[in-house]
Amino acid sequence: MELVNRYIHAVTHQLTGRQREDIKRELQGLIEDMLEERTGGRSASAAEVEEVLLELGNPRKLADQYRGYGRYLISPEMFASYLAVLKIVLLSIGIASTIASAVQMISEPVDALGHFLDYLASLFIGGVQGFTWVTLAFGLIEYFGVKRIRTGMEARNAWRPSDLPPLPDHRLRIRRSDPAFSLVFTILLGLLFTSSLNLFGVWHFPESGSMQIVPFFNETVFRGFLPLIWAVFALGIIKDILKIAVGKWTPALIGFEILVSLLHFVLALFLFNDTAIWNTDFMRQMAESGITPAGSEAFYKVGSNWSRATGGLIYLIGIATFIEIITAAAKAYRLRAIYRR
Amino acid sequence: MADIQETINGLIQELRRGTIIISVLSQLSEPQYGYSLVTILQEKGVSIDPGTLYPLLRRLEKQELLESTWDTNETRPRKYYSLSPAGKEVYLQLCKEWKSLSDSLESLIKGDDGNGVG
Repeated sequence: MELVNRYIHAVTHQLTGRQREDIKRELQGLIEDMLEERTGGRSASAAEVEEVLLELGNPRKLADQYRGYGRYLISPEMFASYLAVLKIVLLSIGIASTIASAVQMISEPVDALGHFLDYLASLFIGGVQGFTWVTLAFGLIEYFGVKRIRTGMEARNAWRPSDLPPLPDHRLRIRRSDPAFSLVFTILLGLLFTSSLNLFGVWHFPESGSMQIVPFFNETVFRGFLPLIWAVFALGIIKDILKIAVGKWTPALIGFEILVSLLHFVLALFLFNDTAIWNTDFMRQMAESGITPAGSEAFYKVGSNWSRATGGLIYLIGIATFIEIITAAAKAYRLRAIYRR
Repeated sequence: MADIQETINGLIQELRRGTIIISVLSQLSEPQYGYSLVTILQEKGVSIDPGTLYPLLRRLEKQELLESTWDTNETRPRKYYSLSPAGKEVYLQLCKEWKSLSDSLESLIKGDDGNGVG
């Protein structure tokens, strides 16, 4: 009888709620009835038990039938786009960590083996992260999609011919290279901001001695902004993944694109609002490193450019954001024209 | 040849699947438990897997076409299903549909224009 109990457990442990106990009892009775029919009252042999269980079939299938639907983390219909997105994300992570590691190796060529091991570790961790997040996103889509179908939300909103999407328009197509490039760039920037902020600076290779970098940023202040940066970058990554998955501009995607642009600008406002984020010692370090000796003409030139750049960067970013939003709005306008046709 | 037989088997299964519910409802004016229903249907030439029937009975109960009670007086507890008033109405309606469907098919198979093979 142990086999029978194992079978019943295999069916019912996948089920939930009140029905579970009920089904358990019913299955118990059914199996006993089926055995009795074969044995006519004497106790059943192992072979007979096996025969009955084989007739009832795979417990997973039976549980699916009781539940009324199959359960998937990622259903067969979604699997193709899941694979496509996964490939691009993993490739982007690979490219980004390769570039980041290459830059690090150039800046500190001493410990080549250490850098190589770091590179392998970052490839592995990045790969696992990418896999996890993509799978999680698709799993959520699956879960809520199935729930929506089950609760009949699909059925209630009756379909109308006007719901048909317009024929694919080449002007609204999103080429994969565009979001893929942005994905690589975002991940790369995120990696460098997090682990190699000191690489952002003026690189100096003196004729004698090792290479020096005069950093642009005040590392302590910058670190405080990292969680905010990660949040905005993560949203950007989700946006790029959606663009790859959907493959064409939709109203929701355009809205999301504009939102992410605005958030980038807000992030920039936070970062560059006051000058605390910049390396306050920049000019002194420039002089000390011998790149622009104090009092030289180059020193004053760099000095005035430095203050102009740190103050003016936010305006540049503002202009870039403005252009991005105008581009997105133009797409929205085009989309509306196509829908109205 | 084996391929054709496989196709035929698949199609027959599909045909039967549509008739399972009406077969089940037809036998439930008196309360029955799942396995007795399997036996009764078997005797009348309608074979159905317990693994299909048991989930189906629960589904029909959830749709309020069947009512159920547990009988714990016998040697082992059994869940008895019978038609609810709504189930009776649905069954009669299905019977009507089936007859008209079968008439239409009959005339299609007989083929007034001589194309049929029946």
